[in-house]
Amino acid sequence: MADLLAQLEALAAAARGEVAAAADPRSLEDLRVRFLGKKGEIPAVLRGMGALAPAERPRVGEVANRVRDEIEALVDAARGRLEAARLEAELSGAPVDPTLPGRRLLPRGHRHPITRATEEIAAIFGRLGYEVASGPEVELDWYNFEALNMPADHPARDMQDTFYVDAASLQGAPREGAVLLRTHTSPVQIRAMLGRGRPPIRIVCPGRVYRSDYDQTHSPMFHQVEGLCVDEGITFADLKGTLAAFARAFFGPGTRTRFRPSYFPFVEPGAEVDVSCSICGGTGRRDGRRCGTCKETGWLEVLGAGMVHPRVLANGGLDPARVTGFAFGMGVERLAMLRHGIDDLRLYFENDLRFLEQF
Amino acid sequence: MRLSYQWLSEYLDLPPVEEVARRLTAVGLEVEAVARRGEGLAGVVVARIVASERHPAADRLSITRVDAGGEPLQVVCGATNYRVGDLVPLATVGAVLPGGQRIEAARLRGVESAGMLCSARELGLSDEAGGLLLLDPGLAPGASIAAALGLDDAILEVNVTPNRPDALSHLGVARELAALLGVALRPPPAAIAEAGAPAAEALRVRIEAPERCHRYAARVVEGVRVGPSPAWLARRLEACGVRSISNVVDATNLVLLELGHPLHAFDLDRVAGSEIVVRAARPGERLTTLDGKDRALDPDDLLVADRDRGSALAGVMGGGDSEISAGTRRVLVESAWFEPAGVRRTSKRHGLKTEASYRFERGADPGMVGAALDRCAALIAELAGGAVRPGVVEAHPRPHRPAEVRLRWARVEELLGLPVPGDEIRRILGGLGFSAAGADGEGATFAVPSWRQDVAIEEDLVEEVVRTLGYDAIPETLPRPGLDTPAPTPESVTAARVRDALEAAGFAEAINFSFVAPAEDAAVDPGARPVALRNPISAELGVLRSSLLPSLLRNAATNLRRHVTDLRLYELARAFGPSAGSGDAPVLERGEVAGLLLGRRSPPGWAASGEPVDLHDARAAVEAVLEALGVAPVRWEGRAEPWCHPRHAAAVVGEGRIDVGTVAELHPRVAAAFDLPRATFAFRLDLAALGALAHPVARYHPIPRFPAVLRDLAVVVDEPVEVARVVDAIRAEPLVEAATLFDLYRGAPLPAGRKSLALAIRYRSPERTLTDAEVDAGHRRIVARLAADVGAVLRG
Ligand SMILES: [Zn+2]
Repeated sequence: MADLLAQLEALAAAARGEVAAAADPRSLEDLRVRFLGKKGEIPAVLRGMGALAPAERPRVGEVANRVRDEIEALVDAARGRLEAARLEAELSGAPVDPTLPGRRLLPRGHRHPITRATEEIAAIFGRLGYEVASGPEVELDWYNFEALNMPADHPARDMQDTFYVDAASLQGAPREGAVLLRTHTSPVQIRAMLGRGRPPIRIVCPGRVYRSDYDQTHSPMFHQVEGLCVDEGITFADLKGTLAAFARAFFGPGTRTRFRPSYFPFVEPGAEVDVSCSICGGTGRRDGRRCGTCKETGWLEVLGAGMVHPRVLANGGLDPARVTGFAFGMGVERLAMLRHGIDDLRLYFENDLRFLEQF
Repeated sequence: MRLSYQWLSEYLDLPPVEEVARRLTAVGLEVEAVARRGEGLAGVVVARIVASERHPAADRLSITRVDAGGEPLQVVCGATNYRVGDLVPLATVGAVLPGGQRIEAARLRGVESAGMLCSARELGLSDEAGGLLLLDPGLAPGASIAAALGLDDAILEVNVTPNRPDALSHLGVARELAALLGVALRPPPAAIAEAGAPAAEALRVRIEAPERCHRYAARVVEGVRVGPSPAWLARRLEACGVRSISNVVDATNLVLLELGHPLHAFDLDRVAGSEIVVRAARPGERLTTLDGKDRALDPDDLLVADRDRGSALAGVMGGGDSEISAGTRRVLVESAWFEPAGVRRTSKRHGLKTEASYRFERGADPGMVGAALDRCAALIAELAGGAVRPGVVEAHPRPHRPAEVRLRWARVEELLGLPVPGDEIRRILGGLGFSAAGADGEGATFAVPSWRQDVAIEEDLVEEVVRTLGYDAIPETLPRPGLDTPAPTPESVTAARVRDALEAAGFAEAINFSFVAPAEDAAVDPGARPVALRNPISAELGVLRSSLLPSLLRNAATNLRRHVTDLRLYELARAFGPSAGSGDAPVLERGEVAGLLLGRRSPPGWAASGEPVDLHDARAAVEAVLEALGVAPVRWEGRAEPWCHPRHAAAVVGEGRIDVGTVAELHPRVAAAFDLPRATFAFRLDLAALGALAHPVARYHPIPRFPAVLRDLAVVVDEPVEVARVVDAIRAEPLVEAATLFDLYRGAPLPAGRKSLALAIRYRSPERTLTDAEVDAGHRRIVARLAADVGAVLRG
């Protein structure tokens, strides 16, 4: 029996030394198998128990369990130490290059700045209770001009150089001159009034418009957002409040608005609306020099507006004695230019990716 | 309209020009610019050359002594066009000329020079060098050149809207300013001296078209001498951008700019029959206008004719035959009122826009016909000598009656949201020339002054009131909230989702003109009959596009030329067709989204493979759009549109056989037509179809509670067998939840014309955990069905 006990103690002693010397989890596992595994050295010793007297067996078993537990504890502890050391080494080891760019599978997509501005304008008016309406881009003269108080031979038509559709290219051969590309989004006012039939009407209509004018500052196609609010008791004061709220939402909380009398045939009274310059904060000067954006005036002309002309209400099927309304229109290109600092109108329609990907 | 501040100030006492500009803008006469003409001429004075001698050291230079008001100065000069005693401009030391040149005391070849004698060009007054500017001998040496030349003036550039023809003159604007500033107006003199036999003996006037010409008045001035205008008149016209022609013609132009009424002067000796007839042009009639053009007339054109033939296009331009010339002795001065729309039609028809037509088509002041005539005749007599014969010869078939407009005081508040007392309204309108009749507590009826023909209804009067008060007086309120919150329209939801999906798929949004070159439209869709423009900017922008693709292909070519070679572009807009659209839209407008892919699949980078995009990338973009809208199920069919590579194309078909669109590699010929590489991929989808098939609100499906069993299957089939047929056959097995292709292989050891498809099949029951035996049985049925349906052989 003493022999067996001595062997067990010797194994314990050997294990203590070898476990302490083990350098990696793998050699620890090898040691555990060597001492404790089914074919390991401790089971091998215990196989000698069969030769012992029954009375001696519990004593040997007890020692064997103690040795086994001790070796297991040693291995676990050593494994813990090694893991900790390895983690420590990793955490203090060579860093990844923090400047290495991320892995991009796809480029980032981009909305066109015109679309961005249009969506934002529509969203602001959506919060004010306006719904989005639309109408055809190829219009009848009646909707685009006549119904908007611009009869044939009216000089106000000179304000909008018009593209006409070649009647021969259309099916059903309409009268030459009757079909044109809409010069503004205002015809949607008429369509909305006729289509909805009764107030309250609150719509915004974003869309493409066309004028036959092409140079540095004019594009034959551009974008407008039209607004119309018709109800009983609508006043110019409501128009002022609405556009002031819009200007603050779009350009920033400190933005001021200024209304100047002007003329659009489909409103009376009519106004041009300026907002305080978003570039120089309305001071006219920036970094000690004149502000080029507002030409030192501190104001930017961004909107046309007014009370809907009674003839226009009547053409929309409404009774001007019962309801009043206001309408406004704004150029999206200009608003987007101010917002992003874009200085050339033509960039919008060249679709150079190096322009588009900035938005 | 260019207005001279000096000229205006003859009619009323004015505040400084900046204040005038501010006030005019505030009432709707927008001042776009103020140009100070004398700017840059400070320090330039009138100088008399009192002596001149050759420079001892330079042949081309002279040494002059000049009197510029003070001590005589010595100035070296290079010009030779003067004589001693002449008056010339002297830029004194310290002056900075309009060109930026600073004048310093200098030594020229050893001789002191105390300034520079100037040419007109050096003063920025003319493009001609031509030696020194020789001044009017009556000027005083030492006087500022700006004042001496009448350049100490400011020119206001006013944007006059089409409703305000009354503001197209100095008197008109002065009248507006006088009302605004509350100061008295001093109109130009109205006196006219007459002499000789009555004018009616020299001329007869008849109107055959009274609806087109309400009044025609004429005077006769005899014994004139046509010659150049005096300097003050020429300068005054030039300040307003009108070229000086002769004293007689300049007189008509001066009165036009002064009173706003267009006038015309004829050589009375060339008016056949001493007779003026205002009539419609006769069929086939022609007229040579003052610009030298021989014009075929339309019966809608109104003529001022003599006994034999046309003398002027009424209200637009005179004829060459009766033009004032150097030999003219007897002048017929015309002052008339022509109907606006008719003048406009003639002006448009002949492409002739003149100062006269501009005013007549906006509505000339019928009350000004007589005054302008008198003023002009008197001015001609003053400038060109001669005598105004007594009397006005006129026809006046339609006398002007002032319009009367009723204004209810309450209406002002109804429209403006600002109460304005009746007295205040009457005061404001009275100042603008609207006289009230029958005023009471409710309102008043106002007579509209003859120069304000734009005012016709109550709202117009409200505008006059608020224009004067200023919009700043109106408070800011918001309309009462609506009873309903509008929902986004289905079209805007579809558009936003499509944009979101393509943005997430790496696409940049393009916006193109709706018009393209006919050849480009035809290259993409040879069968389309595009809507054409009658007056395009250029032939290159001649038709409304039948599809968005031509524009995107052009964008791609532009980017490639600029060395931008990796592109994912899309556009969402309308395409056009010649048939009528819905809701009395004159043409068919079809919402479309089109996309284009070119170059590398991933952005270049250290971890990018640099692989080129292919058809399947394009298809993935389309799939992303379909998924974003909940368009499912769809079928993909091997159909090509004309722009597609006939073998590398897939058409998307939704439920109910609705055509959604096509994704394809470009047809090689289309790619070549746009200078694009072969490997260009594109798609076009119909927005209405997408909208109709969309399920924008996702439906929840329970998360499976039982585990799935995964089995792979590799089969070999003939090349023409479509993957969808194999997948459909697998999914016909009830326990199959999904089947996904994960490998596609062609090549050895497979024979040509065969391909191997590897599919991951997921089996699942919603009710229980499947047993191996159930799955094995299902798998066997699938293999058998594939063998029977598509001739598939299990791959060993
Ligand atoms: Zn500014």
